[in-house]
Order: sequence, then structure tokens, then C-alpha cells
Amino acid sequence: MSRLAALLLLLGLAATSLPGCASVRPWEREILSRRDMAWEPDALEAQRRNHIYFSKEAALAGGGGGGGGCGCN
Amino acid sequence: MSRLCLRSIPRALLIASLAGTLWLGPDGAAALQSGDAAPSFSAPTLQGRSLSLESFRGKVVFLDFWASWCAPCATSLPLLDALRNEFGPDDFQVLAVNVDRDPDKATDFLTKRPVGYPSVSDPEGELPVRFGVQTMPTSFLIDREGVIRYVQRGFRKGDEDALRARIRELVARGR
Amino acid sequence: MSTSSKRSRQLRARRARLRRRARRKAAVAKLSPALHALTTSALALPGIAGSASAATPISEYTAEYGYSQYREDALPSSKVAPGQERERYEIDIHQLRLAAPLGQRMDVTLDLSHETMSGASPWYVDFDQQSGRVVQVMSGATIDDRRTDALLQGTYYFDRSTAALSGGFSIEKDYRAFNVGIEGTREFNEKNTTLSGGLGASFDQIDPTQDPILAPDRPGREDKQSASIFAGVSQVLSRSTAIQGTATYQHARGFLSDPYKRAVVAGTPLPDRRPDQRNQLALLARLRSHFEALNGTLHADYNYYLDDWSIEAHTFDLAWHQSIFDLLRVIPSIRYYSQSQADFYAPFYFAPRGDGLRASDYRLSPFGALSYRIRGEARIQLFELDLGLNAGYERYESDADLAFGRVTTENPGLVSFDLFSIGISGRF
Repeated sequence: MSRLAALLLLLGLAATSLPGCASVRPWEREILSRRDMAWEPDALEAQRRNHIYFSKEAALAGGGGGGGGCGCN
Repeated sequence: MSRLCLRSIPRALLIASLAGTLWLGPDGAAALQSGDAAPSFSAPTLQGRSLSLESFRGKVVFLDFWASWCAPCATSLPLLDALRNEFGPDDFQVLAVNVDRDPDKATDFLTKRPVGYPSVSDPEGELPVRFGVQTMPTSFLIDREGVIRYVQRGFRKGDEDALRARIRELVARGR
Repeated sequence: MSTSSKRSRQLRARRARLRRRARRKAAVAKLSPALHALTTSALALPGIAGSASAATPISEYTAEYGYSQYREDALPSSKVAPGQERERYEIDIHQLRLAAPLGQRMDVTLDLSHETMSGASPWYVDFDQQSGRVVQVMSGATIDDRRTDALLQGTYYFDRSTAALSGGFSIEKDYRAFNVGIEGTREFNEKNTTLSGGLGASFDQIDPTQDPILAPDRPGREDKQSASIFAGVSQVLSRSTAIQGTATYQHARGFLSDPYKRAVVAGTPLPDRRPDQRNQLALLARLRSHFEALNGTLHADYNYYLDDWSIEAHTFDLAWHQSIFDLLRVIPSIRYYSQSQADFYAPFYFAPRGDGLRASDYRLSPFGALSYRIRGEARIQLFELDLGLNAGYERYESDADLAFGRVTTENPGLVSFDLFSIGISGRF
């Protein structure tokens, strides 16, 4: 396993135990629940833009991933 | 970056993701559970008058923590109101705790979607800490002696049916 | 007669032949090479379908429709061989999204899109000895080309995690692709930290429109398979800020060349030939931060890309979401992109490469691009219906001068465009 693989593994494990960084309580998530705080507030626009850039440029855009938001239920 | 390095990345990502999902770390503060006595408190309602949990002793109480920005809360409010109307006022009551930092948002919300039960305002978030709220919404079903008998975490349409059965059981005990 | 003047006579004669051919092609209505010929549907990547941030199933039915139209700038005459078509593509896109809750712990989303393309597309790059310029030779005029995409995704919500399955297809007259994906998320630290991961696979088949007269050496039916994996972590930093980092890796193999493009090798346009494997890595970092005093939210994204064709790219995207009276939102944004070239790319070749590869496609050339966008959104409450309207404009310009590094020869086929979009959404 290369050094990069080991680093990613460490980051993955470390990320799961990140207390200390100002933990926001479940009832304090009003701002995080705002639509403009979403990773992609408008799915249609994000899909269209990603597709258009993808057809004109070589790069792959990263994506996926949840988190943030209301955290309800 | 060498080609060999590039090719080893998927393996690393897979391991990192798996390691992450298997990690079952502790989550959240110690929460009150069934069997615990509900902490006494008094707080101002959204209209300004003071209300205490003690004043509900002798009745089965559904203590519901909600906020105007919480979508499942919006779903639960009318359903809880309907549930409340199925029982006598001396048997079952609903007391809501609103945690909006700006109580005006809660008042606006209730103006558009009124319910028949009172809401106290706790913008500083002291009560959720004392009760160990782990998610929004969270509700505590408290019996006539002031002991928590059930904790409802989150709310999904259909949950009111299970609640109805539990309320009925607790109401029957005290008569 | 000296060799060089004999050669230049030969080159001139060849160019004249090509011009005659191009004019003939223009007269013959012909299907244009689809832009996507090389692309997997962007929806093939897991997560691109738009995973919700909050791990909460939707509680309302949602329907969204969007229409966009963009027209690529005509090529300046200095970049085109004399007598050539200069107009490029005009593209219409219709998008539809339907989402619904399914029981207590599930929701399902359907994404449909239909795209119509008409116009001319780049064929190969040539060197015009008379003017000393590198010029783009275009393929002939075309009939409309259409593409239909569909993606279905179902998500199940546990108490602190989610699992999603997706499947879709992309179809065009000469192209078919199917994709599947699986992804999951898991929350930690009172939902302040979320880990996500996913796998995706795509199976593509291209059946290039044949042209026995002008392109007898065009490949026939070809396949391509790709697999991707991604992992991400998001962290809430404060009540008003959250960050996310994801790493995506994609491996593709099969026919990765463009069957409709050519590259000039020692004066002769030969079919585009690229490696039969490609490994790609994308690292994305995102920030979302709300400023209460301004009632606005900042979005900042950076994407780093690297592949084993030696292309390295950077993308910076900055947007400001300004709320006005909670009813209106105005969103100006800017995007900067820069890529280096594929190691086997060249505008044209004096001699064949040792590995036999050749490509003059602008998408593999070094360049930078700058995009300016403005978007407006309005929300109205109509009884039980939550209605949304939006409209946007984007100006995209690409140029070798915008690239990070120094570019010796700009590919004449770089594209710029104006895009207009409108949309409507309803939640009930």
C-alpha cells in the first residue's frame, strides 16, 4: 500500500471521531437546514452544468456525499 | 503521480470508506430514557405567560421539542393536535417546547398552522440539553406521576398510531 | 524541382481536395457526431443525481422542470480553413425531475432529460501553410441529433445512515449507455460528521453512423466499460458553516477514441486513436457558509483532477446566494477552469507517434475557461403548493491564454457559448 493509501485510511478513521470541532447540537441546525446551505441547492442546475462542462472539458468533477443540512429524524 | 500510485487509489478509498462505516463511535450527550423522572421546569409560552411541567402532574403529557425549520416537525404538529383531541383534557395533554432562536419565526409558523396546545419558548436551548435531545424532533411521553415512559426520536407519518396505543395504556393506568 | 516546393504543391493540392470534400459534405445532410461520443452520461457517477444533504427522506411530492438553450460561438474566420462552416452547435435541453416519499423511510427520484443538438462539430485540425495558421476543419451541416437520459434512484433511511441504489440509461441514435450505482452515508458526532461512499458502473456502446465515401475507415460498433468509486467526508464547522471533501476514482476501458474525429499525421487525416484504458482521479473540496448579517451564503468549490493520460486540471467555483425578503434569491457566480494536455495530443503530427496514438480534439488540448453566471429564484406559496421559478444566464469562454501554464499552440476548436435557462418547480 502506498503512502497515499495509508494517508486516506488515516483521514477516513480520523474523520469519524472529530468531536472537539465545535459540535453543533441537533436543535441548533436552523441555518444548516437552509436550502442555500445544501451542497447542491438545485439538482437540475447542477446536473446540467456538470454535463455541459463534462462535454467540453477533460476533467471529471467530484461529487456525491451527504452531510450538513437539517439532520432531522 | 506514478501510474502504479494512481491504480492503488481505489483500494485505499474502499478501505477508508469501509473503515468509516464500521466505526461505531459514541454519539451525542447522555439522553433521558424511559424510567427517568422528567426534570421539572417552567418557561414562558410564545404568548408570554409562564407555564411549568409540574402544572401537568396527574395527566399523561406528551412533551414535544420542535422548531419552525424542521420539516418532520411540520408534519407532526397537526397529527399531534388531532391525537390530543381523541382524549379527555384531564387524561392527556400536549406541551410543546419550541427551540427557534427567533421566537417570532415560531409564532409566524403557528399563525399559518395553528394547534390547540401550548408551546413554550426556549431560544437558548437549555431544555434540550437537560432532556438530552439527540435529533429534531424528539418527544417524551410522560405518565401521570411525571416519569418518562417513552422517547420518540424523529417523526414519520404513521408514528401517531403507535403513540396512540401507548397513550391509551398510560391513561388507563392512572384512573 | 526542389523537394520543399514539390511538397508544398502536394500540400496545396491536398488542401484543395479537402475543401472540395468539405463543400460536398455540406451539401449532403448528414448526422453530426454526437458531442457525447466520448462521454459517459454525467449521471453515471454516483451522487451526481443530487444526493440530499440532510439524511431525512423527503416528505412532499416534488416536480421540477427546466429548459436551457445554449449556442456555441461561431469560429472566427482566422481559426477556420477557407470556405469552411463556422457556425457551431446550438443545443436545447429539457429536464424533468420527480421525487416522492415511499413509506416511512424511503424516497424515490426520477430524473429525465432530453437534449437536441444541431450544427457542425470539429472534424480535425490542419495547418494552413499559406497563412501559417493552425485551423479547424469542420464536419458538414447536420440534421438534429437527439439524446435522452433517465436515472432512477431509491434511498432508504436508517436512524443514522442511508443506502441508495440507482440505475439509468442514455440513448442517442448512434449511442447507448446503461449505468448502475450504489451509495451510502453514515453519521457520527451528533450528525456533525458524515461519511459517504459509493460505487458506480457504466456500459456504453457506440454504433457510429457510417460514411463509406468520405470515411471508409470509420470504426464500426464499439464498446466501453467504466467503474467508479467515491468516498467523502463532510463536517459541520459551526451553526453556519459546513465543509466537504470527496475523492472519486474512475477506471474506463474499451473504445475511448472519437469515431467521428481525425488527426492529421504527415498531411493525412487519420482516425482519432486514443489509449484503450483511462484512470481518472478527482478530489473535490467544498465550503458552504452563511452570513446572517448579510442574509447571504457563500459557496466555494475546488476540484483537482488528474488522469493517466497526463491531463491535470483545476476548477474553482465561487457563488454568492443573496436572499431578498426570503422570497427571492439572486445568485451571481464565477468559475475558472484550467487543464493541461493529454500526453499524446497534438494539433497535428509531422510523423506518427511510436505508440500509434493520435488526437487533435480540443478537449484533450491545454486551455483555460472562465464562466460568469447570474441566476434568480423566486418562491411563492399557493395554498398547499410551494411554487418556485428560476432563470439564469451563463457566459462561458475558453482560451489557451486562460490556462495556468504556458500554451505554445492553442487548439483552434476551443468553444465559447451563451446559455439561457428557465425553470419551474412545485412541492405539494
